[in-house]
Amino acid sequence: MLLSLKNIFKWVNSGGQRIFLLKDINLEVEEGEFISIMGPSGSGKSTLLNVIGMLDGFNEGEYQFLDESVHSLKEKHRSNLYKEYIGFVFQSYHLLDDLTVKENLEMPLLYKKYGSSERKAKVADMLDRFNIVGKKDLFPAQLSGGQQQLVGIARALISNPKLILADEPTGNLNSKQGEEIMELFRQLNDEGVTIIQVTHSEKNAAYGSRIINLLDGRMV
Amino acid sequence: MLTNYLKIAWRTLLKNKLSSFINLFGLVLGISVCIVLLVFVDYESSFDTFNKRSEQTFRVVQHTKLSNKTLYWNTTAYPLAKALRDDFPEIDEVTQVAGPVNQTFNVTNNASATTLFEEPQVLFADSFYPKVFDLKWLAGDSNSALKGTNSVVLTSSMAKKLFGLDEGESGTALGKTILLQSKDPLTVTGVVENPPGNSSHQFKMLIAYEFFKKNNPYYSSNWSGNYQGTTYVVLNDPGAKSAFEVKIQEWKKKYLSELDNQRISYFLQPLNEIHNETLYGASPGSYIIPKKILNVGTGVAIFILLIAIINFVNLVTAQSHSRSKEVGVRKILGGSRKALIYQFVLENGLLISIAALCSVFTVKLILPLINQNLQILDIQLELGWQHLGLILLTSVFTVLLATIYPSFVLSAFIPVRALKQKLQNSRYSGYSLRRFLVTFQFIIVQLFVIASIVLFLQMRHFNGTNLGFTSESIAITQVPSQDKLEVFRKELLSNNVVSEVAFGSGPPMAVNGFQLGTNFRLPEQAENEGLDAEMKIGDIHYLDFYDLELLAGRAFRENKRIFDEFIVNETFLKTYNWTPDEALGKKVIINEGEATIVGVIKDFHNNALQSEISPVVVLNWKSFLNKAFIKLPPTKATALNHIKETWDMLFKDSVYKIQFLKDAIAKEYAVERLIFTGFGAFSILAIVLGCLGLLGLMSFIIARKRKEVGIRKVLGASMLENVVFFTKEYVKLLGLAFIISAPLAYGFMNDWLESFTYRIHLSVGMFLTGGLITLLIAVLTCGLQSIRAAKLSPVRILKEE
Repeated sequence: MLLSLKNIFKWVNSGGQRIFLLKDINLEVEEGEFISIMGPSGSGKSTLLNVIGMLDGFNEGEYQFLDESVHSLKEKHRSNLYKEYIGFVFQSYHLLDDLTVKENLEMPLLYKKYGSSERKAKVADMLDRFNIVGKKDLFPAQLSGGQQQLVGIARALISNPKLILADEPTGNLNSKQGEEIMELFRQLNDEGVTIIQVTHSEKNAAYGSRIINLLDGRMV
Repeated sequence: MLTNYLKIAWRTLLKNKLSSFINLFGLVLGISVCIVLLVFVDYESSFDTFNKRSEQTFRVVQHTKLSNKTLYWNTTAYPLAKALRDDFPEIDEVTQVAGPVNQTFNVTNNASATTLFEEPQVLFADSFYPKVFDLKWLAGDSNSALKGTNSVVLTSSMAKKLFGLDEGESGTALGKTILLQSKDPLTVTGVVENPPGNSSHQFKMLIAYEFFKKNNPYYSSNWSGNYQGTTYVVLNDPGAKSAFEVKIQEWKKKYLSELDNQRISYFLQPLNEIHNETLYGASPGSYIIPKKILNVGTGVAIFILLIAIINFVNLVTAQSHSRSKEVGVRKILGGSRKALIYQFVLENGLLISIAALCSVFTVKLILPLINQNLQILDIQLELGWQHLGLILLTSVFTVLLATIYPSFVLSAFIPVRALKQKLQNSRYSGYSLRRFLVTFQFIIVQLFVIASIVLFLQMRHFNGTNLGFTSESIAITQVPSQDKLEVFRKELLSNNVVSEVAFGSGPPMAVNGFQLGTNFRLPEQAENEGLDAEMKIGDIHYLDFYDLELLAGRAFRENKRIFDEFIVNETFLKTYNWTPDEALGKKVIINEGEATIVGVIKDFHNNALQSEISPVVVLNWKSFLNKAFIKLPPTKATALNHIKETWDMLFKDSVYKIQFLKDAIAKEYAVERLIFTGFGAFSILAIVLGCLGLLGLMSFIIARKRKEVGIRKVLGASMLENVVFFTKEYVKLLGLAFIISAPLAYGFMNDWLESFTYRIHLSVGMFLTGGLITLLIAVLTCGLQSIRAAKLSPVRILKEE
């Protein structure tokens, strides 16, 4: 088992009232799964994804990730954990505008203290795999949305994560580009990468092996 | 990693060209000014320290107790040096210099053509001088060069001027002869490098002391007079200073008259303190910069730098929202907070290093300009390797203060929120801190502006005060030969461009180089009851010429070889509580002799306005009528030509030099003008920097309140209302700054004004003007920005949310 959430609650206090963002979430994810989280706006999809990605905390419950109890880990350990095992893909790509494609890909490796030759090899490998060698010296602004998301995914994959978290990865793309990205995800999943995506679209959700529906912070 | 950071830093710099420029510009300005000021302070506090034994060297100073006050002298009687040397073999060295004095001399070149030179910086120095003060000898033997009676040592610039010799050819100057005052041949026995600018002894020529002694046998053996002799001693152990002072206290009675022994005591003043101590005044031929001014200078340097740093911090943190996405992405991809702090410190450190480097070049360019244009002081500022530490210190200080805080702010962003580009809550964005910084900055800016206003008004007061005598369009020349007074006068008046001519020892105001001091008492009083007075010698036209108003009695009718008449001023009368009429006919004794008061004149400013009017005695003496005062018409050129022609006809053996009374008076306020010019420049600078800071704050406020503006507009707020909405923020801060800066400025300026007897009074208007000026400039700076923000389309703003 890759991760499990048990009785997760998350809330904020606003105007003396407690507003629940996540209510009693129980979820187990096996390695190799492709899960889609669906639900209307404000139902807590992104919050759940952030909790799984350890970017956001929770107030109550237990979270096991690869036998580590995330809820009892210190901040530093937690960030080491997600650095090691999780890759993120965003709706608006979040590439750094001041870096070229190649440099964007290289950045996670820098924080993981890879040596220079190893970094070069990995970046070259990724560029090759995603067929973007010709674009390596371009800046994000010079690419189409689909191409930017391709770089975003390549960046998420470069340090061989076990889990990819994607928050509406096709939300800013047209349907053809979207399809290509989803195909890519399917291919990655076939290669053994676990994927959890947040999506609005039934069609995209259908790529996954399991669908979780959220409503007002609760799994239905 | 490092290259990656540097790459990002460089690209960010280039991407935000305007803000990078503002950042860089502000920093370069701040750091440059800070360095220039510190170099100045360093220069002015380093006087005479280049002498190897400066720590052990002391100047002998003299305190003379009079009945009503103590006079402090940096010169002593001439025979003191030899007496000390003979009686205290335990002192390492004793040396004495006289001057600098003005001398003329002839040099005959190879083609037997004789040229006349005049040199104001001629110093008489004994043969011990080179052992105490370090000279760089280009030719000649330091041990013997000043031993002979007719020896002269030239500086390299003098050797160049007289004989056309470059430094390398100095040797050939040895043995050459110059004819002093057209009669005494002197032989060149040495050539030294020009003394450095930070030496209290500025000279072009050193003449052997024996020569001076031979020609002035009276002065050089007289223990009761205090002329231009400055005595220095070198003690092996500087700690023995007090013990030595006690010893000479007892010893001096061996030489001094009984009265002098009571009045006079000698003390030792460390050589390194001479230049920054006001008690004894400037040593002959030099100037002093009080320690207090140097402290103010250091303070100003630090404040200017602080303003620049605050700007930088403000601008960087205000722009932080544009970096928030990067922070978010980097954190999610594994960047720790430490790594991010490191990145931002490095990035801003890089910018600051560039600024520091630019500053070094700027300072290099500015210093020669200052040296050239600061005619008030003759300084030779130079940026050298010895300032490396200073520059490094300034830069490190700047980097530490300017980078740490923004780095902590930026790196504290929480990634999920940072990615949504939501501005962080105020605890992290440091909004209140930033307001504090801007307020602090404006306290400094307003202090500068108010100070400049007060300084300006005081300067205007100096220039505008009625001095009690005419000072307009008056030229002053020497009169080389007293026998030709009347001829000179007649010739000058022969052309009607010159309307009036008078002779005397100096103009009514005792401006530099024109004062004579004396003591006065009534015949029945004892010598030690004498009081200080200023002595002026004037001819029969003197009062008329300067429009000095007679209150009683008459002007002189005749100048005599032995004077017998006095004209005194009102202040003089106060000593004895006389009315002007009572004073007439009274006999008074001064150091120079006894005479009868024949006239009383209204008080005029016989001292520059820093000091009070003091008792004045005018004498009908023929001696010392060595200055000619010449009234010029509004168009001076022809008159000046006429004066020059007359001079050439009568005194062709003397060097012609003319100066204007106005200029001489203006020189009395040199230090004040220097301070005013400095503060004026620094206020402008502070305003520029302060406005840059405001721009930073404004862009932050605008970014923060964009949504609010959008909503206000949708709800019907006009553009003006929105502009007011933005501006009221910093108007409040400026108001707060004013409340704090006004009393501070009051304290500082009151303290400063107190050093002047004749001063302006501080008024509310000066402070309000200062406050309004800053407010106006600030509103103008930010008005445009807020108008642009207020004009934004609400639909666009709200859509972004």
